[in-house]
Amino acid sequence: MAAKKQTYEQAMKRLEEIVTRIDSNELDIDSLGESLKEAQELIKFCREKLYKADGEIKKILEEEDK
Amino acid sequence: MDAHPLSLYELNALVKRSITSCMPDTYWLQAELSDVRSNYSGHCYLEFVQKEPRGNNLIAKARGTIWNNVYRLLKPYFEEETGQAFVAGIKVLVEVSVEFHELYGYSLTVLNIDPTYTLGDMARRRREILKQLDEEGVLTLNKELELPLLTQRIAVISSATAAGYGDFCNQLEHNPYGFVFYPRLFPAVMQGDRVEETIIAALDTINARRDDWDVVVIIRGGGATSDLSGFDTYDLAANCAQFPLPVITGIGHERDDTVLDSVSHTRVKTPTAAAEFLINHLRSTAETLEDYASSILYAVTTQMEREKTRLTRLVERIPMQTRMRLREERYRQERVIRQMEVNLQSRLMRESHRLELVEKQLGSLLQKKLTEENHRLRFLEQQIKAASPEHLLKRGYSITLKEGKAVTDASCLKGGDKLVTRFAKGEVESIVITDK
Repeated sequence: MAAKKQTYEQAMKRLEEIVTRIDSNELDIDSLGESLKEAQELIKFCREKLYKADGEIKKILEEEDK
Repeated sequence: MDAHPLSLYELNALVKRSITSCMPDTYWLQAELSDVRSNYSGHCYLEFVQKEPRGNNLIAKARGTIWNNVYRLLKPYFEEETGQAFVAGIKVLVEVSVEFHELYGYSLTVLNIDPTYTLGDMARRRREILKQLDEEGVLTLNKELELPLLTQRIAVISSATAAGYGDFCNQLEHNPYGFVFYPRLFPAVMQGDRVEETIIAALDTINARRDDWDVVVIIRGGGATSDLSGFDTYDLAANCAQFPLPVITGIGHERDDTVLDSVSHTRVKTPTAAAEFLINHLRSTAETLEDYASSILYAVTTQMEREKTRLTRLVERIPMQTRMRLREERYRQERVIRQMEVNLQSRLMRESHRLELVEKQLGSLLQKKLTEENHRLRFLEQQIKAASPEHLLKRGYSITLKEGKAVTDASCLKGGDKLVTRFAKGEVESIVITDK
């Protein structure tokens, strides 16, 4: 679970990197496509974290109650 | 038994009369302020408390009033003199008159204040606690923690029965953005003597599985400030300051500020405000995410647009040259083809003329040749005819034969040879007379 939380932070960090690289025109068209794909996956992952209830987290936290 | 029992009012009126007559003077009172409130009319209602010399248990408490005509002057005077807000938790020296009202009971009316006796025991103790934490280097530790981007798994320390926890969860659950939160309650006593002990126990439980949580929230519904004394202890403050997760406190209202508030990562007024804070934090996380998403989209679109323009420009340029070249080539080809056609045509015509000519020449030549040959043949025929022996004979020549053979040499003859002479018509025999 800690790893997952870490992944969100990492995902945001990676997104920031991508934004910076795209903004500074560091990417050619080929890598642009790849970066865009990666960014879309990261964004999807992050959005899911924010808006979709995670059954696994719920389960772990319910164990906490016992 | 008294024949005339008193009504409550009569009794209270008696108490009032007694107090007024027995305590006609004003008194300088040394006490701690608690729960100081002023209302729209400008009157100030407060509580005076006294605690055990060591500990937080109250041993005396009295309601107090400062009428607006006094409070209006007293409050700014006091605050200016002391640099300290006129709030709960400070110890004051005030001049009071003792009042008793049949309905509202016992209270003290404040007439004057001595600002030199400024900071009360509570405030001084708080300062002392904070100073001690500062000297130990832990005062700002919790504040220095970075709030994780995702503050969804929330360990809530509160009283299970208090409205505060319900308000908090309700607020989270109905957040307008649709964020998911996972709050869990770690029950603790939120007023009275067991505050410190139970909150520390709850913190220990959370700490045992700290990786399961993003943030700790300590909340409590509003109440009299005197109830907040449990949040002003050194052990609780030290625990909170050094806690490995950010602690958010929402344990009172604006006028209440405890040591726990001072060391927590973030301090808000109410449980609802704590929920609001977490929702806003997640919203800013979400906004950052959406910012990233849109700037990536924008940057990618821009770059693609740029590349497309570049490509279009190239496409425009390359074919223009190619087209021109192709056109040239086509013209050249056409020219060549036309030339070839013309050449072929003229060649064909020439050949045809030649053929015709040859044909013509051939015809006349043949004719000529035939005529010539004819002439030759005829000539030859005549010659042959002229050369034939019959012809010669006819022309007067004769052939001399000896023994059937033509004689061409006279020396071959001798006298007496018998000769036959053939003429065109007939033959004669003769005999050689002389030799030669």
